[in-house]
Amino acid sequence: MFQIVADSSSLILLAKCSLITNFCDQFQVIVPSSVIVEVASDELIRRYPDASLISELVSRGNLTVRSPEYGEFALPITLHRGEHDALRIASSLPDCLLATDDGKAIKAARFLKIPFVITPKIVIELYKSERITFQKARDALEKLSKIGRYSPEIIGDALLRLVEENNAKANNR
Amino acid sequence: MPKPTTVRIPDDLLDEINKFVEELKLDRSAYLREVIKKGFSADKQDRILQKYTRGELSHLEVCQTLGWNPWEFLSQLKARNLRLNVELEDWLDSAKLA
Repeated sequence: MFQIVADSSSLILLAKCSLITNFCDQFQVIVPSSVIVEVASDELIRRYPDASLISELVSRGNLTVRSPEYGEFALPITLHRGEHDALRIASSLPDCLLATDDGKAIKAARFLKIPFVITPKIVIELYKSERITFQKARDALEKLSKIGRYSPEIIGDALLRLVEENNAKANNR
Repeated sequence: MPKPTTVRIPDDLLDEINKFVEELKLDRSAYLREVIKKGFSADKQDRILQKYTRGELSHLEVCQTLGWNPWEFLSQLKARNLRLNVELEDWLDSAKLA
């Protein structure tokens, strides 16, 4: 099972497109403690049902909360605490991916040679592994465009890949 | 305590402001303070979000600078018809999980 360290941008988008529970069931998801403070503080839990869901996943042990180890960790660019901690944890674990939907965090991941994954790709992978239906995957990609503010080029390409996967599955039946 | 400052304003704009505050019976200084405050807030948001779209700031750096919580960030982008700062290249390079 893949280990994936998620930052706040990915947690928020996965919750917004109703896939965060499926994501946590399929992968071992690690979240820095600073990210939990950023997205699921007591005040945010009262205001946002999705923040409450993230807190529940932590309580149930579906999301593993970790703090980064102390030591030197130099980045060529500035980032916020949670984004920084997510990169730091991902770099310390073997065969670990960073889940992020932030362009600047992706730049830092490229610099550190940490493989990264963005939410539209997670949607496709959840469909490929039969964790979600074609319809649910399509709905999630549409939400990523409308609510998640993903560019039409990325969502268009993701929808195309989803249809290709669907056709491949149909041909194998 | 507000501090005094000097700004040069074009004649026609100053005339328009003077006429407007007179018509609406507003306090000229208080009105100008309010306009500067509103204008500064809107301009700051626009400039910070421009830096975000260029990939110079992260999602949370924007939230910290503008006093937003991370959950309202997406609706703020939507209100301005802006998109995430993730590029097509990032999608193509995104790792496969299976």
